Amino acid sequence: MAIAVIMPKLEISQESATIVDWLKQEGDPVEKGEPLFVIETDKVTVETEAPATGILADVRFAAGDRVPVTEVVAYILEPGERPPQDDKDVVVSKSEPPSPSDGDRAVTPVAQRLAKAHGVDLREVSGTGSKGLITKSDVEDMLARTGIESRVTSGRVRATPAARRLAREHNQDLDSVRGSGPRGRIQAADIWALAAEAPSQLTTDVVPLSQMRRTIAKRMTWSYQKTPHITFTVRVDMSAFEETRAHLNAKADIVGRAHVSTTALLVKAVAFCLKRHPWINSSFRDDEIHLLSEINIGVAVALQEGLIVPVVHKADEKTVGAIAAEVSDLTQRARERRLISSDIAGGTFTISNLGPLGVDEFTAIINPPEAAILAVGTTRREVVVEEEDRIAIRPVMRMTLSADHRVIDGATAARFLADVREVLEAPELMLL
Amino acid sequence: MSRQLTYLGAIRETLREEMQRDERVFLIGEDIGVYGGAFGVTMGLVDEFGAERVIDTPISELGIAGAITGAALTGMRPVGEIMFMDFITLALDQLVNQAAKMRFMFGGNAEIPFVLRTPAGSGAGTAAQHSQSLENWLVHVPGLKVVMPSTPHDAKGLLASSIRDNNPVVFVEHKLLYKVEGEVPDGVYTIPLGVADIKRQGHDLTIIATSVMVKRSLEAAEQLAEEGIEVEVVDPRTLKPLDKDTIIQSVSKTGRVLIVHEACKTGGFGGELAAVIAESEAFDYLDAPIMRLAGRDIPIPYNPKLEYRAVPQTDDIIEAARQLARGQV
Repeated sequence: MAIAVIMPKLEISQESATIVDWLKQEGDPVEKGEPLFVIETDKVTVETEAPATGILADVRFAAGDRVPVTEVVAYILEPGERPPQDDKDVVVSKSEPPSPSDGDRAVTPVAQRLAKAHGVDLREVSGTGSKGLITKSDVEDMLARTGIESRVTSGRVRATPAARRLAREHNQDLDSVRGSGPRGRIQAADIWALAAEAPSQLTTDVVPLSQMRRTIAKRMTWSYQKTPHITFTVRVDMSAFEETRAHLNAKADIVGRAHVSTTALLVKAVAFCLKRHPWINSSFRDDEIHLLSEINIGVAVALQEGLIVPVVHKADEKTVGAIAAEVSDLTQRARERRLISSDIAGGTFTISNLGPLGVDEFTAIINPPEAAILAVGTTRREVVVEEEDRIAIRPVMRMTLSADHRVIDGATAARFLADVREVLEAPELMLL
Repeated sequence: MSRQLTYLGAIRETLREEMQRDERVFLIGEDIGVYGGAFGVTMGLVDEFGAERVIDTPISELGIAGAITGAALTGMRPVGEIMFMDFITLALDQLVNQAAKMRFMFGGNAEIPFVLRTPAGSGAGTAAQHSQSLENWLVHVPGLKVVMPSTPHDAKGLLASSIRDNNPVVFVEHKLLYKVEGEVPDGVYTIPLGVADIKRQGHDLTIIATSVMVKRSLEAAEQLAEEGIEVEVVDPRTLKPLDKDTIIQSVSKTGRVLIVHEACKTGGFGGELAAVIAESEAFDYLDAPIMRLAGRDIPIPYNPKLEYRAVPQTDDIIEAARQLARGQV
C-alpha cells in the first residue's frame, strides 16, 4: 500500500522547512532508511530517510520549495501501484474507533456509567456527538432538564442581578414576570418588555389614533426633536389694545358688522411687525434659510378631537375688518370640518391664543416648517409700576415666542417681540 | 512610524535595547547563548554582548532563580529565562520564598529588580511536561508581578517596563505567539504594568482573555460581528497588578462576560476574575451567569487532536459567546 513521505517536524517551533535537494528521482526504487531528500530548517540542514521500501512516486515539491511540516511531499508505492487520490486515505485512518453501543446506539463508556448511576434511559437521550454518539454531556443535559421540572414548582424566582436591579428601579414584582432565559430565568430584557407594557395595564380604554392625532403626533414630535427651540416671554400693557378694540366693536355694532376678536387684532399687529423682521418670517430647509415673500398667519384652533391651524394669507395686506371676518369664518368652518386644503396651507408664522381659556402664559412648539410661533396668554388686571414709581392697575397680557435657534438668535427675537409689544400697546402705530 | 515585527522579534529587540540602555541588565538561562534559546528568542545576543552578559547555565532552574535573586539584591537587573514554564516548578523556592519576600522582610531596604521570562502554553506538540500554563500559581504569591502579553506591541512595551520595575516580575510568553506578527512602533517605549487594554469595542458581551486566547477571541469576535453580535475583548495584559476598573466598567456596560484562558479551569485565573466581577458594582448589571472557558482539567495530551481539544479554540469561543449573547446560558 502507498506510504506517504511527509515533511518532518524536527524542532518544537518549526512550522516549515525548505527542500534543498532530492537524492532520488521519481520512479527510482528506494530502500527503507535510505537518504531520500535534504531539508533545511531555520537551524539545521539534514537528510531525510525513506519511510519504506518501494518506488518513489508523486513527488510534489521541487528543490527550493518551502513546505509546511507534516505536508505530503511524495509517495512510496509498490510496483504497479497508483498514487492515492486523497492524502487522507493514507495519512489518516478513516475508520473511527468503534464505540461501545447500547442496542444500536453509540454511547461513550463514561456516558453509559453516568446513565446507569442516575437511572437515565439512554433511549430518551439524543446524542450530539459524531454520528449521534451519546456523550457524557448529553446525559448531563438530560439530568439537568429532568431536575428543572421539580425545581420549577418550588416557587423560587430565578432572575439575573441585572433583572433584579431593573425590577427594583421600575417597581416591578418579579413574581409576575415570565422569564425568557434558560430554565425560565428572568433577564433584563423581560423587565424592559414589561416596563414598556406597564402603562397599558392601567388603561381603561384604548383609542386608536385618528388621522388628525396621528398628524399632530408626527409633526410635533418631529418639530420638538429636530428644532432647537428657544423661548422669550414679554408682558404687554393691553390698555390701548382693549380701548381700540372697544372702539372698533362699537362702530361695528352701529354699521352691523362682525366684532373684531382679540385674535384678529393680534394677527394684524403681528403681520404688521413681521414685515420689518424677515428672519422671523422664514423657514429652515436643507441647511438653507428661506426668507419668505408672503406673510401668512396661522391661527391655532382647538377642536374636540385635536387642533388645526387655518391660515390668514397675506395678513399684512388686509384690513383688521377683513382679518376678523376671515378668522371668524375659518374658525367656524374648522369646527364644522369644512376647511379645504388651501385654508391650512402656506403658513409662515403661527399664533396660538389660549387667553380665552384662562392660561396666563405658556410655550408652544413651532409649527414646521415655520421658524417661530407666538403663544398668547390671558389678559388679566395686574398691579404694575409705571413712570415715577406710580402704581397702577392695568390689563396685562403675557406672550411667549418660541423660535428656531438655527435661524433666530436671542437679539433678533427680542427686537421682534419689542416691536409687537410696542404696536399692541399703541395700535395706532399701524396707521403709519 | 511603525513596522511589522514578530512577538519573538519584539522581545529580542527589547532585550537588546534594555542591555544597551543599562549595563546592569544581563541575561541568564539554559542554552540562551550560542544556541540562541530553545525558541530562538536570544539568537545573536551573545555575539553582540558577550558571554558575560548572556550567560549559559547548567540545567538548574533553581540555580537560575537563585542567581537572579542574588544579582538583583546586589544592584544588577537580571533577565532570567526558564526554557519551559513547566520547569518553573523547580525554581519556586527561590521565587516564592526568597525573591517575593525579601523587600517586605527587609523593611523595604532591599529591591529585587529581576525579570524571569518563560514560555507557556500548548499547541506545539510538546506533551504534558512542556505545555502547561502555570501563571496562576505565581499570581497567588504577594510580591511577584505576573505579566502575560498577547501581541508583539504589548510584549515590547511590557518587557521594557518589567525590566525597569524594581520588583520581581514573571514574564509569561506563549510558544504559539512567537511567530505571530503585529504592528510595533519604532523606538523604545514602555507600557505600564497594571493597565488593561480593550482590544475591541463591543456592547453585547465582554470577553476577558489572556495571552494566545486574546488572538482567538478577536478571531471569534470578527465572526460573531457578522451575526450581529458585537463583542468587547478586554486583555488584562498583567494579571498582577490587575486593572480591575477596566474590567468592571466593561462588564457593567455589556452585562455578560465570558472569561477565556488556556490554563486548567479549576484554580485558574478565571476564577479570580469571576470573583472580582461578582464582588464589584458590575454585579448589579450581570444579565447572565459569569462564564468561563478554559483548559480541561487534564495533563495536555501528546496526540495532536486531543491536544487541540484540550484548550479553548476559536470555534469554542464563538459557540460559548453566541449562547451567552443570545441569553441561552
